[in-house]
Amino acid sequence: MNYFPDEVIEHVFGFITSHKERNAVSLVCKSWYKIERMSRQRVFIGNCYAISPEGVIARFPELKSLTLKGKPHFADFNLVPHDWGGILYPWIEAFAKSRVGLEELRLKRMVVSDESLELLSKSFVNFKALVLVSCEGFSTDGLAAVAANCRFLRELDLQENEVEDHRGHWISRFPESCTSLVSLNLACLKGEINLSALERLVARSPNLKSLRLSRAVPLDALQKILMRAPQLVDLGTGSFVHDPASDAYNKLKATILKCKSIKSLSGFLEVAPRCLSAIHPICHNLTSLNLSYAPGIHGNDLIKLIQHCRKLERLWILDCIGDKGLGIVASTCKELQELRVFPSDPYGVGNAAVTEEGLVAISAGCPKLHSLLYFCQQMTNAALITVAKNCSNFTRFRLCILDPIRPDPVTMQPLDEGFGAIVQSCKRLRRLSLSGLLTDRVFLYIGMYAEQLEMLSIAFAGDSDKGMLYVLNGCKKLRKLEIRDSPFGDTALLMDVGKYETMRSLWMSSCEVTLGGCKTLAKNRPMLNVEIINEDDQIDFSSDDRQKVGKMYLYRTLVGPRKDAPEFVWTL
Amino acid sequence: MIHMELQLGLALPSTAVKGFDLNAYVYEPRENMGSHPSFHSFGFTNDICSNYKKRNFDEAFEKDKTVPRTLPLLHWNNEPNDEDDPKDLENNSSFDSNKTAEEDVVVGWPPIKTWRKKIWHQDQGRQAKPKNNQAVKNIGFGSRSAQSKSNSMYVKVKMEGMAIARKIDLSLHDSFETLTTTLISMFCVWHDDSNNYKLTYQDKEGDWLIAQDVPWRTFIRTVQRLKLLKISE
Repeated sequence: MNYFPDEVIEHVFGFITSHKERNAVSLVCKSWYKIERMSRQRVFIGNCYAISPEGVIARFPELKSLTLKGKPHFADFNLVPHDWGGILYPWIEAFAKSRVGLEELRLKRMVVSDESLELLSKSFVNFKALVLVSCEGFSTDGLAAVAANCRFLRELDLQENEVEDHRGHWISRFPESCTSLVSLNLACLKGEINLSALERLVARSPNLKSLRLSRAVPLDALQKILMRAPQLVDLGTGSFVHDPASDAYNKLKATILKCKSIKSLSGFLEVAPRCLSAIHPICHNLTSLNLSYAPGIHGNDLIKLIQHCRKLERLWILDCIGDKGLGIVASTCKELQELRVFPSDPYGVGNAAVTEEGLVAISAGCPKLHSLLYFCQQMTNAALITVAKNCSNFTRFRLCILDPIRPDPVTMQPLDEGFGAIVQSCKRLRRLSLSGLLTDRVFLYIGMYAEQLEMLSIAFAGDSDKGMLYVLNGCKKLRKLEIRDSPFGDTALLMDVGKYETMRSLWMSSCEVTLGGCKTLAKNRPMLNVEIINEDDQIDFSSDDRQKVGKMYLYRTLVGPRKDAPEFVWTL
Repeated sequence: MIHMELQLGLALPSTAVKGFDLNAYVYEPRENMGSHPSFHSFGFTNDICSNYKKRNFDEAFEKDKTVPRTLPLLHWNNEPNDEDDPKDLENNSSFDSNKTAEEDVVVGWPPIKTWRKKIWHQDQGRQAKPKNNQAVKNIGFGSRSAQSKSNSMYVKVKMEGMAIARKIDLSLHDSFETLTTTLISMFCVWHDDSNNYKLTYQDKEGDWLIAQDVPWRTFIRTVQRLKLLKISE
């Protein structure tokens, strides 16, 4: 089978970096499996309960970088109880015991304790990068341990985590000898920061390219920090509030002019609109702009800013920009690839916000657009059909109409046709989120056309089991399906049980599936964990099988029921 | 006639199904969208339209559907007025229409990360609507009776000297700093002399303790209610 020595094949494999491709390569033959597993350095585990840490170490002893994801996606929206699971510690413990030379750890929706951070920091001499996204369970004490012990730390990236702030001087725990930082993201921290320690840290980090500050860093401190790091490529400001007539503000304006390398800008966790003009001079270089954390900036100020940003590829913004503002984006940002429009007043009643008009304008003006997250007041089929025609490149299309079952306000029809047009036109679509009034028909379209679809999010949609069946039968590449408040029941759930072993996970909450249906599904399926989240003791052992299940989460696994499930989670 | 169309479009009552022909639905961009430059006519939707011709409503949708699923929420006003223009409905906050004073809200909707909500919450310094989401509104699925609890954590807050107690959602906070900031803006009186008040809480055992004496995590697990006490000289 092999015409080349193993070393040559291994060398060739070195060029294959995507984990999907490495997975494919490892299936070719035993020899390739062995070579691949001994040379894989970056391991991606999409569900931390699909395999044990020991299993990962056994297969990939040379791994250096680990990515782990824990809780289901809907945990982001409060649908999963806090103690559900996704605990990091056992992984660190197992890795520490082994001889794995861990250098990078990327986590999403996991529970990370201070103890695990401490153990991590002491166990891996060459540890370089820690990226935590939407995690919780740790405090600044854990960060202090990482700062103090990871001598070669390059990356500390904290994105949208719940961090308990002990207001200690954890930044001061970075030793004077630590000069290796390349990326430091503190934006999600809420407590005070020792500003002079931070400034000194930046001053001794000549390789620092990305720095995102927290709200506790005021504008004058930002100026001092920028003076030390004019080489920054990615900047996240903290609090951007000052009297525009002051010295500090003028100093900042001058300093910003020196930062010619900044391509990515975010932060503005607190902002006075009058101060925004300070960043106008660097706007023409920006490829990425995130103003979505900055409420209170009116559409006009946003527009003034964006008019300078001709090179923008990624824009995250609040809906106060309005349809008119999106029109300006469409005519200015011809390189735009990713757009996210967040609601500034999610429970508000029909305030400004954006509608289908803004989206249509963007689709007409931005030919490279392929990734969208759009919260809006309303959407029409006509608009979606136009968007589909203008932009057939979408790989990610997430539309959230704030009223979850709102029909097309012009025709009063469901939005089936609009979404149908999207899936038919966008042949490379991998991720889709639906909203608005939707019948089974939209799922018929999805099953028919969305051949590359990997992740689908459904809420308040469909009429019957047929809807879910269209999707399960049609979308061959489906990996993650999450459904809430939709009338899909046991018939759909049980039609093709083998399908779930080809997927990572299925979430169904407030649907029509029953306890009996879930039990049937779980029977004789050692490769699936079917978990019922049983809040308020709705279900107990004496429950009738016909009772509806509030929340069900099932996922494929190699290691059977998890041992850390809390008492309100039942694995059937 | 307009009223009839409205009813068919929204509620899909089974009796009206036979009269509804999807062939009548034809996309006409210009008519709908007026002079918007980005709308063009195109042959593209012919695919979709021709699909329509292949099946009518009866085939596409279950005939024997007995539960008009969308009905309860979409009666904007309880008695649809004959003079109602469909376009008027845009102005109604559709989701709010059936709300009582209690303002029931659906858990986890809109799908925004909790972390993001907290940022707005802090910035505005006011208690986020909704005011009471212990019960989740059952929006229209008549057959389902289960209601799931939200993850919010409302506790009563009383301030010494003020007759009316307030409620605060502790799940939106993760430190005493943000909590006291919010309490300050709730009880405007306190702002002036916030140093003269101390925050106390009642724990699960019924004891009253000083909040800042314990770590946040301990506090949040056991707090039942809050009280702001004036520090006597």
